[in-house]
This record gives sequence, structure tokens and C-alpha cells, in this order.
Amino acid sequence: MSSFRDDTDLAAALLALRPTPRPEFAAELDARVAAGFPRARRLVAPTPLARVRSRFGAAPRRPLLAGAGGLALAAIVVATTVIAVSEDGMAPSPARQHSGRLATPLGAATTEGTGGRGGELGAATAPSKASSASGAAGETGAGATEREAVAPSRSGPYASHAGHRDVERAASIVLGADPDRVRSDAAQVFEAVQAANGIVLHSTIRDGGAGRAGASFDLLIPTARLGGAMAAFSGVAEVRSRHDSSQDITAPTVGVGERLRDSRARIESLLAQLAGSGTSQERAEVEVELRAERDHSANLRSRLTDLHRRANLAHVSLRIETGASSTGGAGGGSWGIGDGLDDAGRILAIAAGVAVIGLAILVPFAAIGLLGWLARRAWLRTARRHALARS
Amino acid sequence: MDREHGRSRGVSQTLLATAANAPSEGEVAFERLYRASRDDVYAYAAGLLRDASAAEEVTATAFERAYRKRSRFDPRRGEPRAWLFGIARNAALDELRRRGRQAELAADPIDGSRSAAGEGVERSERRLALAVALSELTAAERELVALKFFAGLSNAEIAEVLGVSESNAGTRLHRTMTKLREACPDELV
Repeated sequence: MSSFRDDTDLAAALLALRPTPRPEFAAELDARVAAGFPRARRLVAPTPLARVRSRFGAAPRRPLLAGAGGLALAAIVVATTVIAVSEDGMAPSPARQHSGRLATPLGAATTEGTGGRGGELGAATAPSKASSASGAAGETGAGATEREAVAPSRSGPYASHAGHRDVERAASIVLGADPDRVRSDAAQVFEAVQAANGIVLHSTIRDGGAGRAGASFDLLIPTARLGGAMAAFSGVAEVRSRHDSSQDITAPTVGVGERLRDSRARIESLLAQLAGSGTSQERAEVEVELRAERDHSANLRSRLTDLHRRANLAHVSLRIETGASSTGGAGGGSWGIGDGLDDAGRILAIAAGVAVIGLAILVPFAAIGLLGWLARRAWLRTARRHALARS
Repeated sequence: MDREHGRSRGVSQTLLATAANAPSEGEVAFERLYRASRDDVYAYAAGLLRDASAAEEVTATAFERAYRKRSRFDPRRGEPRAWLFGIARNAALDELRRRGRQAELAADPIDGSRSAAGEGVERSERRLALAVALSELTAAERELVALKFFAGLSNAEIAEVLGVSESNAGTRLHRTMTKLREACPDELV
């Protein structure tokens, strides 16, 4: 039998045992609460930033997530900007759209450029990659990309030709002009060809309205003067597109030259053999061989001449267009909505790529952090349960 | 004109200052919760720990943690008091863990002598017997009593704090009460 009649009696007795805090402690805690627990309460006048923090303080906060998210976003923005700028060399501008297209096929260096005024692209000091690769290439040897393509080999069978390389160069350029200026522009092209000691292989000039009028030229320009000539062509009218290419033909040139020397030596040998032959039959046999070798030698000489011509004269295809650009997209050199969309798409693609890479880096760390947090939580829960059971 | 402009600006400055210093909604709610629960939290901590100074420390820690986390409280997930006692319970159990790592602290002597004026000897003895019986309970059982009778939580709130079902909390509480009653024999009377 218990001394408590029922649960109510026991409850009343328990309530009477209820501990109460000391008045001093209660007063001290009241003061701390009124002060907002000193670490959080600012005694100085709130700054605008503090007011913003206070305003957002009421909303649910995830400081770590917000901080990490902000940091990741900032990193993505910075990385995108860095990649976009380093890819283009500079921020997108109307004067150099599409200059990002830079192709270097095997064995040849190729640059393309579209748009801009001729003077800008043609000059050796023009800022775009396209012009830097070819503007003054004839005089200086080549632009950066081109130097890579024709860099002399320091080893192998043609090492002796390291100081001299035979490079075949070609270029094409499309100019945009008004229909009534086609003839005068064509005349300037002829003058530029003449000034460069070039050759006009073929030319066509058409009169008419916009789109119909135009001119086309197939030109041979001394390689050493190609840069100057291209600069002159670019100055004739607005440059709509431009393409430069180069190919190292040192190997075939050296190979054909050596075979030609061998052939000449063989001819000399056959001539000596012919002089020393006693019988008519021997002479006839040697003469047959000599004729065959002379034919072979002539063939090699012709091929070598052709190779030298290819190295010394660059083939240039020049077209003057009227009306809308046939090269598409750029629209006569002015920067338009299409270009803007292209640039925007490219930047978005870069941003997406950077975000994916960033996620690939962050996700494992976040997973490790989450696992650690979960493990610590579980451990703490168990430790508290054990502490309660032990007491 | 100038006077009107000056007066108007002064008024707006006053309003701005008031708005900046005004407590936020969360602070007001916390203040209300604190006033309603300060003594209850202390009573719970003291009942569980049987150490007044440790109970004070736990109470202060609990309210400070609650203050820092006040913006994370989600009313859809439970009552504010249950949330607060969850925090207080963690602080109290952390204190128990600390005790486990350090030397065992002596519990405060049983204060069975608190008797109201004019209270009879019989009641005083009953109170002392109950205090002794309480001290012989396990910490988990003592916690139930502290939550129910010292902190004044309902069974539903106790269940939320302990992370068990309400019926489970009720069953445990009933067993503890029975144990307490049995620990206070009739011979005392």
C-alpha cells in the first residue's frame, strides 16, 4: 500500500517538489535575453548592411548552403568570363565577329576572318587573329599559327634545309562593294596586282544591280609580297571574308631535286659509257638507256620547276560581291542579332560547361560533408542516449 | 515652407529609427516563449540533473541555442515548447555526457525539508520519501517526471521531445508513476 492515495495525490506531491530557479539567476538570464545574448546584439548604431541582415534574419537561413552557393556562382561567373575572354582574346565586338573560328588542318595552317573594314583586317597590325596570321605574312615569314605549321625540322632527311623552307601559300578574299563601284574597285585590284608584280590568271567583271554586279579574279602573287598585296586588296573595299592557307612543300621539293641530281649523274655516266663503247650494239643499248634517262630527267626538272613556282607564287582568289553577303551570317560586316545570339549561346555553353565541372568538383566534397554531418549526428544521438542510460 | 520640410524630415527620421530598432517577429515570439518557459526549462533540467548549478548552465545554454536557431523553427513541425524542450534536452544530455567523461558530480542533497508553514509532519515525511524515491529512479524515468510535472508538458509534447509515440510516452509515464508510488510505502504515514 502506497502513502499516495492515487495518481492525483502523487502528482500534487511531485508538483510541490518542482525546483525553482534562484532569483539572481533568473534576473541574469532575463538580462541576457533582453540583450539578445551579447554575441548577436550590436551596441553600435545598425549599419545598412546590418539592417539588411536583420530583415533577412527572420527568414529561414541556411548560412553554409547560401555561402557555398554564392561562392560557386561567383566561381562560375569568374571562370566563364576568364574562359570567354581568353578564348576570344578580347570581349566580343562588332569588328571581329567570327574571328574565333581558327582551323589548323594537318600539314597546313589556315585562318579565316570575316567582316570589318578592309583596312582593319589587311594591315599587318590589325588586331584580329585572322589578319595577324596573314597580314604581313609574306614579308615576315608567317603569323603565329603559320610559323607553327612551317617550323623547320631540326632532324630527319631534310634537316639540311632547316634554314630554308619551301612553303606554298594560298589565299581567298571576298570584298563587298556597291554596284556602281565594282569597276573602280576592280581597277584598284589590278593596280595592286601590278604593284606586287603579280599575274592575273583570270578575271571577270559583271555590271548590273545589287547582287548581280561583281567581279572575280584568279591571281598569282609573289609569295614574298603576298602580305602587302592582301593588305592592298583589303583596302579596296569592305572585307566580307578572308581565308589564308599555307603548306610546307619542302619535302617533295628536296626529294625531286635529289632525284634530279641522281638522274643527271646517271646521264653523265651513260655519256661516258657511250664514248667508251666499242661495238654498235653496245652503243645502241646505251643510247636507249640515255634517252629514257633524259626523259626521266626532264620530267623531274618540270616537277621541280612546278614546285618552285608553287613556293614562289601564291594563288589568290579574289571576289567582289554586291548586295547581301553570300558568306552568310555576318551580314556585310555589321554585328547583328544573329551574331549576338551566337555569342550568347557560346557564353551559355561555356557557363554550362564550367557549372558541370564545378559540380563535378563540389558534389564529392558535398557528399563527404553530408556523410560526415550525418555520422556526427548519429554518433551524438547515440552518445546522448548512452549518457541518459548510464546516469 | 522650410519649417514644414524640416518637420517632415524629422518625423520620417524618427520613424526610420523606430523601425530599425523594433524587434523582429522572431524576437517577439522568442521573448514570449522565454517568459512562458524559463522556470519550466530550469525545473526540467534540475529534475533530470539533480544539480542546481548544472541546471542553470543548461537552462542558459538551451535558451541561447534556441535564440540562435529561432529563425529555423518551423511551426508546421511542432509546438514551440516542444521544440524548446528538445533543445534543452540535448543540452542536458550533453551535460550528462560531460559528467560521464569527468568525475561524477555529487547530486544536490535531497531537499525534502521544503515545507509550507503549518504543513504537518506527515506531509513532510511523504515529501521526503518521494524525493528519495525520485533520486532512485533512472535518469530516463526521472526525465519523464521532470517533463510532466516540473515542466508541465502534455503527453503529446513529451512524446515529441523524446521522439516516441504519445501512447508510448503515456505508458512509460504510468510505469514510472507506479514505481514511484510503490517506492513510497504506506508505513510512512
